[in-house]
Amino acid sequence: MTRINSPKDLKAVQEKAKKDIDLRSGQKDMRITVHMGTCGIAAGARDVLAALLTELGPATDKVTITQTGCAGLCDQEPMLTLTDKAGGSFRYGRLDKNKVGQIVREHVLRGQPVLEYMIKC
Amino acid sequence: MRELALHILDLVENSIRANSSVIEVTVAADQTADRLRIQIDDNGPGLKVTPQQALNPFYTTKSGKRTGLGLSLFKAAAERAGGRLTLERSDLGGLRVLAEMGLRHVDRSPLGDLATSLGSVVCANPHIDFHFRISHDGHETCIRTSELAHELGLPPDDSIALARRVIETIRTELETARGLA
Repeated sequence: MTRINSPKDLKAVQEKAKKDIDLRSGQKDMRITVHMGTCGIAAGARDVLAALLTELGPATDKVTITQTGCAGLCDQEPMLTLTDKAGGSFRYGRLDKNKVGQIVREHVLRGQPVLEYMIKC
Repeated sequence: MRELALHILDLVENSIRANSSVIEVTVAADQTADRLRIQIDDNGPGLKVTPQQALNPFYTTKSGKRTGLGLSLFKAAAERAGGRLTLERSDLGGLRVLAEMGLRHVDRSPLGDLATSLGSVVCANPHIDFHFRISHDGHETCIRTSELAHELGLPPDDSIALARRVIETIRTELETARGLA
């Protein structure tokens, strides 16, 4: 990251951030909730959230990211729950950054749930 | 947990669940005194049980659970590195969790990816004003997310852009932090 030395530099950062915002002026399509209880954090929930930030790229207009605690399925951590506009809830478990990438590409961007990584109850 | 940054993330989660609206995280490394101080302050309701109960791994205030490991794991990490963990009343009005340990102690856990830990809580909690203070070698950096969002002209709910900015800033800051790995 370049150091900000002048109002001009700050303005440039602001412009870049504004572009990020302009991308998401519409209604959000999905909510992604990352489970971040002690068990989730120990299993890698932070890496899941970081992977979301990376994989979503400019597609952040579609989603809101939130967090919650332990859902009582500690052996399935790290987990995320994806809620779509229609109210459908999809819970994915035992994630890693590659699986998160696939979920973003297929479910978030194309609306196709990745059955393989969903938790079976 | 392998990293101190994960313990910090876990304790910030506690503060979030306690409905705090201001959460302050301080990481201060003192090379001369060979001490590392990690402090998490919030303006939540504070401790509703005794510190002994809070630090007991088999005590939790959450229903449906039988363990509460977060604080006790952090306490163990501090003690393993020649330090201690204390719970006290914060200047912000809520709880202060203060851990001190040997900076160069052979058993000190690595700090780990602090930037991503703090960025992830910012991303998921746009309504909370986070204050991050990182000091090392006489140099201190402070980030207040409410001010940063204002400076960048971000709307209050644009947490993803804010989180990315926080991660970049802290990562850059820590690159120069000798001995804080």
